[in-house]
Amino acid sequence: MDQPKVVLSLMFFTMAFGFHLATALFYIAHWVFKKKWIGQASTALACVSLFSTSMILVFRAAESGHAPFSNLYESMVLFIWALTLAYLIMEYKYKLRVMGAFVMSIAFISILSAWLLPFRFKSIEQLNPALQNKWDFMVSALTPLGLEKYALGWLDFHVFTTFIGYAAFAIAFGLSIMYLIKVRFEERGRSNVLIDRFPEAKILDEICYQAIAWGFPFLGIGIVSGAVCANEAWGTWWSWDPKETWSLITWLIYAAYLHARVTRGWRGTKSAWLSILGFLAIIFLYWGVSFILPGLHAYA
Amino acid sequence: MADKGNSSNPSKKKSMKNFWLWRVASSVKFTVFILLSVALLSIVGTVVEQNRPLETYVMSYGEEWAEFIMTYGLNDMYHATWFTFMLVLLITNIIACTIDRFPSKWKSLLWAKKDFDPAVFERLSRSEEIQIDKNADSAALGVRAILKKKRFKVRESEEGGKNGFYAERGIIGRFGSDFVHLSLLVIILGAILGSFLGYKDYIAILVDGEVEIPNTEIGLRLDNFWIDRYESGQIKQYNSELVVLDKGEEVYKKHIWVNEPMVYKGIRFYQSSWGISWNRIAEAEVTLVKNKVPVGDPVLVDWLDKNEFAGTPFGIKLVGYVSDFAFDMESRTVYSKSGDVENPATMLEVYRNGEVVSTPWTLLHHHGIMATIPGEEGYEVYLTGIRNINYSGISINKDPGTNIVWIGCLIMGLGCYLSFFVYHRRMWIEVAPFNSGVKVKVCGMINKNQMKFDKEFAELLSSIKNIA
Repeated sequence: MDQPKVVLSLMFFTMAFGFHLATALFYIAHWVFKKKWIGQASTALACVSLFSTSMILVFRAAESGHAPFSNLYESMVLFIWALTLAYLIMEYKYKLRVMGAFVMSIAFISILSAWLLPFRFKSIEQLNPALQNKWDFMVSALTPLGLEKYALGWLDFHVFTTFIGYAAFAIAFGLSIMYLIKVRFEERGRSNVLIDRFPEAKILDEICYQAIAWGFPFLGIGIVSGAVCANEAWGTWWSWDPKETWSLITWLIYAAYLHARVTRGWRGTKSAWLSILGFLAIIFLYWGVSFILPGLHAYA
Repeated sequence: MADKGNSSNPSKKKSMKNFWLWRVASSVKFTVFILLSVALLSIVGTVVEQNRPLETYVMSYGEEWAEFIMTYGLNDMYHATWFTFMLVLLITNIIACTIDRFPSKWKSLLWAKKDFDPAVFERLSRSEEIQIDKNADSAALGVRAILKKKRFKVRESEEGGKNGFYAERGIIGRFGSDFVHLSLLVIILGAILGSFLGYKDYIAILVDGEVEIPNTEIGLRLDNFWIDRYESGQIKQYNSELVVLDKGEEVYKKHIWVNEPMVYKGIRFYQSSWGISWNRIAEAEVTLVKNKVPVGDPVLVDWLDKNEFAGTPFGIKLVGYVSDFAFDMESRTVYSKSGDVENPATMLEVYRNGEVVSTPWTLLHHHGIMATIPGEEGYEVYLTGIRNINYSGISINKDPGTNIVWIGCLIMGLGCYLSFFVYHRRMWIEVAPFNSGVKVKVCGMINKNQMKFDKEFAELLSSIKNIA
């Protein structure tokens, strides 16, 4: 069987890997040394990382002949792309580079784990019948151009929105760790050069909430669009498949976070722990379920 | 945040709202508890495989655990009584919280007197005072214009030469959580309706075959079934051309594939599997031999059809087929051992000068095992080829709850948007003459996203300072 060539996307993957490593190191250096030029360089590097990650997706789509969201490796790239993009938007909005040391480290760990995936996970797969879900309007719009194979559908929408949700939760996870460290120092009145550079705990809590306020509806849209796909492919919108159930579990944990945050005495530390628990559930939902638990959702 | 905690309910209604059970049922802590419990318990059903036969559990967990699993319904835990009970608790909690909080929220936000009240300047921490060199009228005009420009709804009052403004926007955001809660109830309602009024079924239908659809008056015909492949040979798509028949009339036609079901009168038809028929073929190729040497060309014969061997007195009719030949000694019947095309065999009626002389089973892969034309020295018929018929496996499903579920999802989307991205901001501004100019007191609050509000508040102050 002819393997489609994956040269350019792998080249960009190598580039993105290097840039993400550099980005994470620069953000950490900026946190430690507090030099303005390091901070500017780290933002610039993050932009380059985002660009090279986008190029992986573009060339992957060109090489495979379909939207690049169809297996674990491609979805990891999508996750890293969304995480970097979301982080840059957040940095622009709040002008806080310290968070980059945590968030871009998560991005680097992700690209490292994608890199460590065995090669069979990286090869291009043609879409099996159940994955061919296209919107009619898009197929008919692209057919005259001969590009109908790139038409998107509910399935692509499902993967895309889910991973935006995951990215937002990854940011919230980083911020919750920072919050827990910061709040300990604040409560005990202790001081530490590195920790003092964190924003106030109150602000960390607020930004974390903002991240979850984006992640929660996006995960919700992801679950619902997944239900739409399932309904079109199998005739049931919900079948308690392990992936479905775990996505619900995650959603419930974040729902608990949102409620804990408006309850006196649970706001702050307790809700930060829930945000961390939520992200651990995401990791299991994403990797654990695919590798450990059997189910319909065998791909990614 | 203020009104989401324990809302201040007047002490008049002591009776019910102070009852401990009500207080628990309507508390947010209880919500968090249920959400996390449902999350935790749901894990069990992802680890223990669902809806397997008892033997599977005995094999993987041992007898004691298998008994435990069956007793507590862990084999089908999402439909077990105790899991349903948890969901009932969640619904109860949603309803109790709404009854507890919604009326007072509604009143305080929409119906309470919202005129300007100077007392707020003492109460709110976000409060500023600035002086500008303008007369009272033009300052008041300017303040009104700024608020309008920022799309606030403004109410004005005048008392003792002071102009008071109360302004707000985004009040609907406060009701976002109520929409989300409502949407959960709608989705659960849709699920319940679906499980009571809907049904699922499965039919296998041969190409060119017709079947009655269970529970309905209509029939279904399969005009064609085919598989699309990639150049590599990997399967790309399964396709069926379906025709709906109502009293024998064609009423609807659709080409379906995986992810593209046919919908007819609320019943959905899904491409779910396919296979090769085990009891029927489209066509057989039969060769007449004499002393194992072919006589003339092989002939083709359609299902239940006849053909002649040209130049000989012999003819055949194709009357039976099994895909995996087996013979039951006791009942002396032929049957198919499996659904696979392992050992295909046809039953033929052999004619000589128009008279049936024998009805042998002939095996595609094993020629000459049985004498196919007894009494005709040396003459035999060999089955030398078959053309299979495919069947298409169609899942049939009616679920009238689905659309209700989608409506619930839309309400949830709306609710999430309102509660996460529409903030309720309130401003109180007082313009009072002071020396030659005016003194402007400004205070305000937001229900969430304090950081955004700090920015907006600063902007507002600076535009008031610069009133032209």
